[in-house]
Amino acid sequence: MRSKRPLLGRPRSLLGRFNRAIDWVVVVLTAIIVALAMINLNSAGNGDWSGKFMGQARWIGLGTIAAIVVGSLRYTLLYRLAYPAYLFGLGLLALVPVIGIMRNEARRWLGIGDYQFQPSELMKVLVILALARYLHDLPSGGKRTLLQRAIPFAIVGLPVAFIIVQPDLSTSIICILMGLSLLSVTELSGKSLAALVSTGLAAFVLGWGFFMRDYQRTRIDVWLNPEAYADDEGYQTIQAMISVGNGGFFGRGVQNGTQNKLGFLPYGETDFPFAVFSEEWGFLGTSMVLTIFLCLILWSLNRASQARERFAALLCVGIAALFFWHIIINIGMVLQLLPVTGVTLPFFSLGGSNALTMMIGVGILVSVSRARQFQ
Amino acid sequence: MTGLHKAEDLRRLRPRLQAMVLVVLGAFALLAGRMCQLQVLEGVHYSRRAERNFIDEVVVEAPRGRIFDAKGRPLATNRPAYTLYITPRPRLTEERHQPDGPAVGSRVPVTDGEIRELTEFIDFVDDNDREKFIAKITSRREDPVNGKYATAVRSNLTWEEYARIQARSDQLGYWVEIRESSRRYYPRGTLTAFVTGYVGEITPAGLERSSGSYRPGDRVGKTGIERQWENYLRGRLGKRSRVVDVHRRPVSEPPSEAIGALPPDEDPIPGQDIYLTLDLDLQRTAAQAFDGIHAGAVVAIEPDTGRILAMLSVPSIDPNRWQQPIKREEYAEWSKSPFKPFIDRTIQEHFFPGSTYKVVSALAALDDPTFDPEREIECNGFVKYGGRRFKCTHKHGPVNLEQAIVQSCNVYFYTLAMEEVLTLDQMEIFARRLGLGERTGLGLNSEVKGRIPTEAFEAREGTYQRGVRLNSAIGQGNVTATVLQLAVVYGALANGGRVMTPYLVDHIETSDHKLVFRNQPQQRRDLEPLPGGDRGRIHRGLVGVVNDELGTAYSERPDNVEVAGKTGTAQVAALDRRRVADDELEIPGWDVGKEHAWFAAYAPATNPRIAVVALVEHGGVGADAAAPIVMKVIQAYLDSQETIGSARKPRASGVPPPLPGQRQGPSNDEPQEGAAP
Repeated sequence: MRSKRPLLGRPRSLLGRFNRAIDWVVVVLTAIIVALAMINLNSAGNGDWSGKFMGQARWIGLGTIAAIVVGSLRYTLLYRLAYPAYLFGLGLLALVPVIGIMRNEARRWLGIGDYQFQPSELMKVLVILALARYLHDLPSGGKRTLLQRAIPFAIVGLPVAFIIVQPDLSTSIICILMGLSLLSVTELSGKSLAALVSTGLAAFVLGWGFFMRDYQRTRIDVWLNPEAYADDEGYQTIQAMISVGNGGFFGRGVQNGTQNKLGFLPYGETDFPFAVFSEEWGFLGTSMVLTIFLCLILWSLNRASQARERFAALLCVGIAALFFWHIIINIGMVLQLLPVTGVTLPFFSLGGSNALTMMIGVGILVSVSRARQFQ
Repeated sequence: MTGLHKAEDLRRLRPRLQAMVLVVLGAFALLAGRMCQLQVLEGVHYSRRAERNFIDEVVVEAPRGRIFDAKGRPLATNRPAYTLYITPRPRLTEERHQPDGPAVGSRVPVTDGEIRELTEFIDFVDDNDREKFIAKITSRREDPVNGKYATAVRSNLTWEEYARIQARSDQLGYWVEIRESSRRYYPRGTLTAFVTGYVGEITPAGLERSSGSYRPGDRVGKTGIERQWENYLRGRLGKRSRVVDVHRRPVSEPPSEAIGALPPDEDPIPGQDIYLTLDLDLQRTAAQAFDGIHAGAVVAIEPDTGRILAMLSVPSIDPNRWQQPIKREEYAEWSKSPFKPFIDRTIQEHFFPGSTYKVVSALAALDDPTFDPEREIECNGFVKYGGRRFKCTHKHGPVNLEQAIVQSCNVYFYTLAMEEVLTLDQMEIFARRLGLGERTGLGLNSEVKGRIPTEAFEAREGTYQRGVRLNSAIGQGNVTATVLQLAVVYGALANGGRVMTPYLVDHIETSDHKLVFRNQPQQRRDLEPLPGGDRGRIHRGLVGVVNDELGTAYSERPDNVEVAGKTGTAQVAALDRRRVADDELEIPGWDVGKEHAWFAAYAPATNPRIAVVALVEHGGVGADAAAPIVMKVIQAYLDSQETIGSARKPRASGVPPPLPGQRQGPSNDEPQEGAAP
């Protein structure tokens, strides 16, 4: 690469340098997703580009600024800020049970003026930062001490403990899955990963049998056989599937989905925006969005493979995992491949903290890419 | 702690990252595959389900077919009306039961408070009516499957109710809806009550039997023609589709896709109009003749065809009354009434035919070759048999068969019975040949069969005595018949011995006057025609009843027409008398100890065009109470025939009545002039 540079000429102008500094793939993919998501959010809402749409647009704007700030930070600074930011996030989380705002029987929000903010969302990125730094700092190869093995779990476990009591099961699951993803890059061997996953599954099955509360068990039953509960517990799942299927190949057209517009699909803005999108854009649209998300994740993994340091690689994998698990769990839930949880779809779901977090994630990706460029 | 930049070969991470890429690709392929399945392969299925969500089919009621008399005058029509519809489970709530759980849908039934609010706007006739209304809604809101559909809960709202509910519709909410429909109207009221019958709300049992062809709240024929011809009258429901949202509210500006998916509207097909053989003028004449009489019935038929020209049972309830809720006390009053206004006395009640049955006995006797109709039997006013006295009205002196009919001598028939010329079984053969003891085939108002005893029957019932034969010979004992059955018997005597199936429906047309069905006179082919010679002898007797000075109905003879008929004075069963005697009420003109009065006749005697049978309950002597009614009906009919100028040529006396299939002249098309409106 360096040998080719004289041929192309070193960018001399500021614009040229700016152009080279920015990972346009990430920016363009993100921009397309955000645009589609905003169109979809308008459809899922009242359809006149106002109200909740404007609220979300403000958050997206805020997120864009955050992404630019994070993206323009040298990523060495990210390395230095990783632990303080993590501790800051933990502090916010600790505040939630004290001064948090209760909504829908869950205390997850902190109020800042008119805005309400979920520290648990931000924590997802901060866990990535902290864990990446810790794993980076570990000596490569060699035996790990017990403490060295325990600390990564603590980094994930501490915020999860706060989050799970809010209660917010889905964010906890995301944090755990992201932690596992990062560990599997450098630490866990295939064997131990398999052992961990199988232990988890066994615990789940046992838990289902003995410890799960009735409503949680019902939820699994409903997931396995939603038609039997079509008018009550399975209503959401069934209506989401109808919405998706009703889209057909070409879709019903924007603002023309009956399931969404006539109110048959509950939570079309927050948890089931993909059902709304599927209905309006059809298989053509859903496969397009899926491809764009896939590109973003693969690009992120690609960046990880090109990284010079473990920290950079881990950050890229972390962001990829952040997107991947959200997308898989949310869309899987819409398509009845997974039981219903509150996991959001990045950018599509209404929710400021989530949008902000995802934007920061994108910023981190840009920052890492820039670092690679400069070296 | 080590610093950020440390020399490390990250290439060993590559396989793991590649594995991750594979995992990511696999997971996305799974999602894409599932999407392909749902959207492409099963897309049509889910589209249908989406349509089922938002398409609400509103049923458009078909105008019910009308009922007309023979001259096209309406007996049952429709008037615009309003029906109250409610959706018992209107709202759908989607609530999360847990913070991250799925939205749990549930249809929320209307609350007791909302129902109470609605009842404020309805004028209930009494508390019972209100309770039934509330119970109806409460039971429908228990149904989780059909609860989301609007159902009719009250039809024929009054104008005030309509205005009140419409004005408060915002306050009540969209679960209450008023739709236009029609109500049944019977312009002649009680005059044709039992013929037309009435419509009422379908019962739950009926709804179950109909296996889905009726909806709750539908109005169906309950009695009379309305019930018998329900399938012709009801028409076919139409359909209008509209787009509704999840709460089943109509959407004013639905997505264009939704409008495109609406099935085409189907217009209702109006029910078919039924034209009866009934002549309203004659019916009115009959009703006027019954003026002042508490209970009784009259049936007039055309002997040659079996067309029913008039059919009246007194008293009756105005069928329009059933179109509104009825107070419980009022209903109780009707059911307690000694006059039994619910019962159609022409076919739903059987009575002792009394002396009108003597024609059957005479036919049975004439069949016996040893019997000499000219032999005279001395009537001393009674006979003794088996230790009992069997009385006659008075001493008739010597009478032959013809005079026995003319003067209605019981002793003559008692003697025949004692001599075993008349046995129960011999009489039964002829009674059955005249259609007694079984339904006439009119098919209306759950007709009863009447009773013709045989010896086996009497033995079974434990009522067999030797005297039963004597009583049966004069239409008492265990012999019972309906008014319509006797009309058919006298019609058969009039038309040359053919027992016809009586009918009320002349023809049926669609609303645009296409003929659907035209009734043809039907002879009872299972019954052997009566022998001609025997009939002639009886005919002479019947003519004598009215025209002979000794005849029991001589005083009632009309001057311009020769009538043949038979009086009857049927003793009321002792049981009946006792039961009613317990009733403390004394009603003027209603002496339950008095006999039922009968008169059965046909006219003109030489060429009969009408046969009429009248019964006056507890009317006393047949000639006094029942004969005037019959005469009025006969005269009114024959007069109207003359003014119309009947095309029928009178049959010369002595010419045998035509055989079936050799009908002379038009027989069943003259009353239809002006039938089509």
